[in-house]
Amino acid sequence: MNPVVRWFHQLGSPPYFDRFAARWAPWAHGVGLLVMAWGIWQGLFVVPADYQQGDSFRILYIHVPSAWMSLAVFALMAVYAAIALVWRIKLCEILAMACAPIGAGFTLITLATGSIWGKPMWGTWWDWDPRLTTELVLLFLYLGIIGLYHAIDDRRAAARAAGLLAIVGVVLLPVIRYSVDWWNSLHQGQTINLLGESKMDPSMLPPLWAMVIGTHVWFVGSLLARARADNLWREAGKDWVRKLGLTAPVEAKR
Amino acid sequence: MSYQGYVIAAYLVFAVVLLWDYVAPRIRIRQLLRTARLLAARRAAAVASSSDNPAGELPR
Repeated sequence: MNPVVRWFHQLGSPPYFDRFAARWAPWAHGVGLLVMAWGIWQGLFVVPADYQQGDSFRILYIHVPSAWMSLAVFALMAVYAAIALVWRIKLCEILAMACAPIGAGFTLITLATGSIWGKPMWGTWWDWDPRLTTELVLLFLYLGIIGLYHAIDDRRAAARAAGLLAIVGVVLLPVIRYSVDWWNSLHQGQTINLLGESKMDPSMLPPLWAMVIGTHVWFVGSLLARARADNLWREAGKDWVRKLGLTAPVEAKR
Repeated sequence: MSYQGYVIAAYLVFAVVLLWDYVAPRIRIRQLLRTARLLAARRAAAVASSSDNPAGELPR
């Protein structure tokens, strides 16, 4: 068998996934933190202030990557949920449900930092603007998925129901993305272009890309850690979990 | 106008949410492993007590 295919099959085994997640989650968190630390240092102390917004524009370095993550994590959650629904792969159910709290966290950061940035620039903490409102609906969707997953006792049925909500919720993503184009919005239009030329000065971009990469790597660590916790919860009572429990103090030292 | 307070508040929110994101699953994993350890100890004790008294006689 192809080694990559074999590895994918092995990853579906709960004990194998536990070892994999326990090994790589700290690395992903560490690398993500280092990259973000560089991005924050550059964004706060090296990059010059914006000629119009002054230093308040530095909020962009956490606001924009978090906003992108809030959308990307939801899309990934829906992909995992679709795979879990079609092929009944338990690990995909676990991964889909592990995405929800992380995505909710990034959505909360987006809304809070946007609000903090909005006060000095727009003169208000909040406005029922299309971009802000749709992002708030996204947070409610994340919370709905988390709530639904924990409301049903049967873990697999709960994951399927919550996964279905995630798949349906995907229709919100293009609405959020294009809300600034479709409606008159207080929120500014697209400033950063992944493929073409951005409207920002090039000197301001490197910390932003560092933050984008850093948040993605951090997400991998969080996804593995949360999926590991859910995997252990589902497998509680199995022999391999009991053995792992007996060796837990050794693992804590590692 | 100084925006220092706004910038600090925004970065603080970012740090607090990421800290929660880091700590929450680790606390959960620790709790689950502790429960597994207690369960294993209870089962080991049950096996030991049944081997001491294989006929299941009541103590006098």
